[in-house]
Order: sequence, then C-alpha cells, then structure tokens
Amino acid sequence: MSSESEPLLRVENLKTQFFTEAGTVRAVDGISFDVHEGEIVGLVGESGAGKSVASMSLLRLVESPGEIVGGEITYKGETIFGLEEGPDGELQEREDMLSNQEMRDRIRGNEIAVIFQDPMESLNPVFTVGGQLREFIELNRDLSSEQARQEAVEMLREVGIPDPEQRYDEYPHQFSGGMRQRVLIAMALACEPSLIIADEPTTALDVTVEGQIIDLVDDLQEKYGTSFIWVTHDMGVVAEICDRVNVMYLGEIVEQSPVDELFYDTKHPYTEALLDSIPRPDKTVGELDPIEGVMPEAISPPSGCRFHPRCPDAREVCQRVHPENKQVDTAEGVPHRAACVKHDAFDVGYDESVPLAKSPQVTADSSANTETSVTDPERGTAGSSGGEGSE
Amino acid sequence: MGLLRYTTYRFLQAIPVLIGISILTFVLANLTPGDPVRLMLQGVEADQEMIEQVEARYGLDRPMHERYLDYMAGLVQGDMGHSFHRNQDVASLIASRIGPTLLLVLSAYAFALVTSIPLGIIAAKRRNEPFDHVSRIVALLGVSTPSFWIGIMLILIFAVQLGWLPSADLVYPWWSPEVYGHDGYLEHFVETIRHLVLPMIALGTLQMATLMRVERTQMIESLQGEYVKLARAYGVPERTILRKHAFQVAQLPIITIVGLNLSTALGGAVLIEFVFNINGLGRLFYEAIIQLDYQLIMGITMIIATMFVIGVIITDIAYAYIDPRVTYGEAE
Repeated sequence: MSSESEPLLRVENLKTQFFTEAGTVRAVDGISFDVHEGEIVGLVGESGAGKSVASMSLLRLVESPGEIVGGEITYKGETIFGLEEGPDGELQEREDMLSNQEMRDRIRGNEIAVIFQDPMESLNPVFTVGGQLREFIELNRDLSSEQARQEAVEMLREVGIPDPEQRYDEYPHQFSGGMRQRVLIAMALACEPSLIIADEPTTALDVTVEGQIIDLVDDLQEKYGTSFIWVTHDMGVVAEICDRVNVMYLGEIVEQSPVDELFYDTKHPYTEALLDSIPRPDKTVGELDPIEGVMPEAISPPSGCRFHPRCPDAREVCQRVHPENKQVDTAEGVPHRAACVKHDAFDVGYDESVPLAKSPQVTADSSANTETSVTDPERGTAGSSGGEGSE
Repeated sequence: MGLLRYTTYRFLQAIPVLIGISILTFVLANLTPGDPVRLMLQGVEADQEMIEQVEARYGLDRPMHERYLDYMAGLVQGDMGHSFHRNQDVASLIASRIGPTLLLVLSAYAFALVTSIPLGIIAAKRRNEPFDHVSRIVALLGVSTPSFWIGIMLILIFAVQLGWLPSADLVYPWWSPEVYGHDGYLEHFVETIRHLVLPMIALGTLQMATLMRVERTQMIESLQGEYVKLARAYGVPERTILRKHAFQVAQLPIITIVGLNLSTALGGAVLIEFVFNINGLGRLFYEAIIQLDYQLIMGITMIIATMFVIGVIITDIAYAYIDPRVTYGEAE
C-alpha cells in the first residue's frame, strides 16, 4: 500500500467520450488514479457519473460510439493506452501501446478480470456454469481441459457453492442470483489476475446476500492478495471494503483519499451529500438529506465546478472556476485530494465570493421551493432567473 | 422427464388435432358446391338412374356423418380410401406423388438455411454498414414478393433468355438413371440438381428472407448481451464469441420459425409445382379439389397435416435440446 513503489495500475488524465448524434458525451473527463498491489480501491458516484465507462476503458472495451480519446493507462509498466503526437501533429496511438491481440491474449482475464453488475444476465443461458468457467480458465491459464475442469470445481467450492461437482453441470437458470454472483467471482479469481474490476457486483442482490458476497470477497482478497477496483454508488459498501476511495461526479474525480479520511474528514460537498443521503437507523426518512436535483447530462456539463448547481456551498466563483483535483490535506503521508475551491489550496477568492442562489432549471422537479430564494434581495447574482412572486 | 416420454406425449396430444382437421376438411369438402358424380360423368349422357347407381356404388347416397365414420374406421386400419375419380387407391396415389414435393420443400429449406444464417450473422456483425443495408432490402423484397412470380421470372431469365437451366419438371434421384437416358450416376446427379435449382430458389426465397431477418435481429440482440461483454472481458476471441457465445443463443427463435413455416412452404409448393410443371402432391391436391374427389382431398389433407404436426414436434424437441431452460414437460 505504500505510495513509493510503482503502482500496479496507473491511470492518468483518462478521457473517454461518446460521439452521439446529440453531441459528444464526455463520460470520463480526465480522471487520474492509482491502484497498488493488494489494495481495494473504490470508484464511487451516482449512476451516470462515468464509473462503468471508466472501468471498461481500463480493458479497452468501450463500445461504439464510445472511444478513449486521451490520457494514459499503464499496467505493470505496460501501456494499455497512450497517445503521442505524430509527425503530422495529430495525436496517434503510441508505439508501445498493447495491440488488440495482446490485450485479448495477455491482459483481459489473465491480468485484469471483471465481475459485472447483473449476475442474472452475465452468464450465458445455454451453456453450463462449469463449462463457462472452464472455458475462461483454459483460455487464461496454461491448463489442459481436464485440469481446467478440476480447477473450476475447486473454485466453485472456494466461493461457497455446495456440491460443486454436481453444480458444475447445471445451467445458470438453476442458480439463484447470489449463487450466480459467486460463480462470477469464482470466474474472476480462477483466472488468477492481479486486478479485478468489480462493477457494482452487489447492486442487483438483496441485502443479506450482499453482505455474504462482501465478506466472501474480503476473505478471498486477503487469501489471494488480488487488487480490486470496486465500482459502486453505495457508501456503506465503500466503508466496509475499500482501502482508498475515488469519488466521481460527471466524469471527473472530485475527491480522492484513504477510506477513513473520506468518512471522517470529508473535503468535497458532493461526498458529504452522498454520505448524508445514506439511510441509517438513527435517522428517519424525513431527516434524510438527499442531494438536490439530478446529475446533469455529461453532454453539456455546467460551467465552472460541475457540481455547483446542486452544491449547498456554491458561491459565485464556482460558476467560473473549474477546480482540478488538488491535494488539500495529508493523511499519514497519503495525499487527500479534492476538487473544490473552498479549500485554501485553491486561491481563487472563494471566501470573498457571494453565495450562489440555486438555479431552478437543473432541478425541475423541486423548482417550487428553490425559486423563492432567487429573488432574495441580498443575493443579487442570480437575478436573471425571474422566478418572482411564487410566495 | 425423458425425451422418449416427452415425444410420446406430444404425439398423443397431436391426435385430437388431427381428428379436428379431418372433421373440418370432410365437412368443408362435402359442402363445396358441385356434385362429384356429375363432374365424373361429364360428357356422358347420364340419366337419373345412372347417377343414383354411381352414387350408391361409392356410398355417396348415405348421410355425411356415416360416411365420415366409415372413412375414419378405414383410416385407423391404414386404409386411406379410394379415389373414385381416378379409380385408384388414395394411398398409392399419394405415395407416387409425395416424392417430388418433399424433394422440393426440403431442398428449399436447405437453400434457405444455408444462405440465411451466414447472411444474417454477417449483417448483424456489420450492422448499419452497406452490407447490412443491402441485405435488409433483399430480405424485404424476398418477404414481399410472391414465390410464383419469382418462379416465372427465374424461368424467363435463366431458362428462356439464357437457356442455362431447364424450366420444367424434376429429375427424381430415386429413379434409375436409365429412365432418363443418363450416362451413369454422376450425370444423373447433375441433372437432378439442374432441374431442382430454379424451383428450389423460387420456393426458398420467402423462407430465406424471413429467416435472415430473424437471424439478424437475434444476433444483434445476442451480441449486446451481458454474457458477450463478459466473454470479451475474459479475452475470448471475437470469432469464438460470434460462433459460439452469441450464435447459440440466437438460434432458438430460428428453430421455431423453421417449424412453423413448414405450412407456408407446403402451401407455396402447390403454386411452384404449377409454375415448374412438377408432378407433385400439390398438383394432385388441386386436381382433387377441382374434381371434388372427396377421399383424395381427405387423404392429402391428412398427410400434409401429419407432416406439419411432426415438424412442429421435431421443432419443440430440438428447442428443448438446445435451450436448457426448456424442459421436456416436467412439472414446473
């Protein structure tokens, strides 16, 4: 976990965009993070924040019309993605970038495996569970068909599937959701990768099963020492399992810190809002503090800080200044980064700036109660919205 | 439940269906305007007494339900009755004419499957590329053009204009080469194919177009499946994904359509037999209807219905075989 050593995976300024008829969607817009050996790194955010696109970018499996357009992904010193300026001045793929063939043969499965969100859909309905497991093991490890079969049975046992010998020959529809997710975890571990991307692996499961799966992953992670990127929107899961956390909002990482600091010394209002919206036994539904509005489309993100239309701490300067993800604190030698201008690391005049009235167009469903504040005479900045006289 | 038990069960289920068809056909044939005896005696100076004699001879003077029960009693014992118009056994008449029809229908199906599945897969893989657009237009034309018109056009172009292929009749591979004066089996085989090509395409185009559209849609859907994404993420080569992971899931609806379209194919065969002057079951059926040859109509209907029912049962068995989620009628 030390930050001195070369990380297992380094992502720098990764940009993935979707070229749709409606315009360019900047799904992932310049994110940087590392994953070290044996670490579970969280990638957290609301749906649409770009978490899944980011994780598929790591395998170079972004589907058309999506495309990685910039940045660098380095895995164990090898370039998964990288651009350089060509002789004509245009950006082109770097020479040392792994070819599609190499990605397929050496990276996907062997080195980086995935666990998808929906265990019901992820297994092929017409092949046996064991057959699918065996196929992936055979493909990604140097084993004969018979050895792969034994390994598959062994892995099914390892993830807690009873009677693995017998279940091997059964079809996915004969497994429950939790059991299928165990199969997918077995699949990922059986290929002996160094990194597993778990893309919301417990979202589709009910809470008791979710707990079991998280415990299972925790145990197995310790045993195999595999690194994880854990994609989720659930702060509770993050607290339980992650070592370090990256919080994403609209394609950007807005806060990055070790898990304890994230919870006890939250630096970004968005993270705070996420934490406040977790249902807890000591809070009634009325006391819950959900984030206002919905996340805007990544096709035309708000100016300045992308979170400012929903941010309780927003000031005038937030409309103008787009904060990068800067180090704002240090926790046990590990930097705590946040992309919010209210911190001293940003010297853009937040303290002098006027607090911002919330603009009504972002929160169409809750406009009635936000519009009243617009005409507050003390806050002259957002006068253009013209929502007077509703009270 | 075992395959054998399932099959038996399905065949037993088919019996009431076939009985229903037999009643319907019997009633409809007998209610058709026209008198079979008068049709038979056309050109003969027949008085009332003679007509009654003929009617009595073929049992046509008895009420309909009696004749029906008689017919069914015979059918159960394997007697399909007698064509009074041709004065021949219905069973042997059908036996002599079913060969060409089966040859035609089966080869049309073979043609349709062999062309539609690869084309559908390529179209799905190259979705929204030129190949896909062209194949979709071809499929649309294929679905909307009547097969007899395609047959006539094929004859005009390949038989009349270019003179490459014969336009009439089939060569029956089950007859000996000497009958046609062919020089050995190779020539016999080549001639069989040459005669078969045009009617096969004419009849098979509709099936091909239908299957191609379904195959394309199914492959597109299956290629977007999560299991395909998973396979990609585990480094499975694209060819394997296409041929194995996506393909097998996509074939399930194809099987259903092949089975159900057997009826349109057999119906289409009647027209194609006329266009290409093939002496098959379809033409025999047509003539039987025109001549109100009751027993022959019944016989052919029952044969076609049985073939259809068998086709559907084979479809269901194949479906259960390929899709593990379908069980052989077990209690859920």
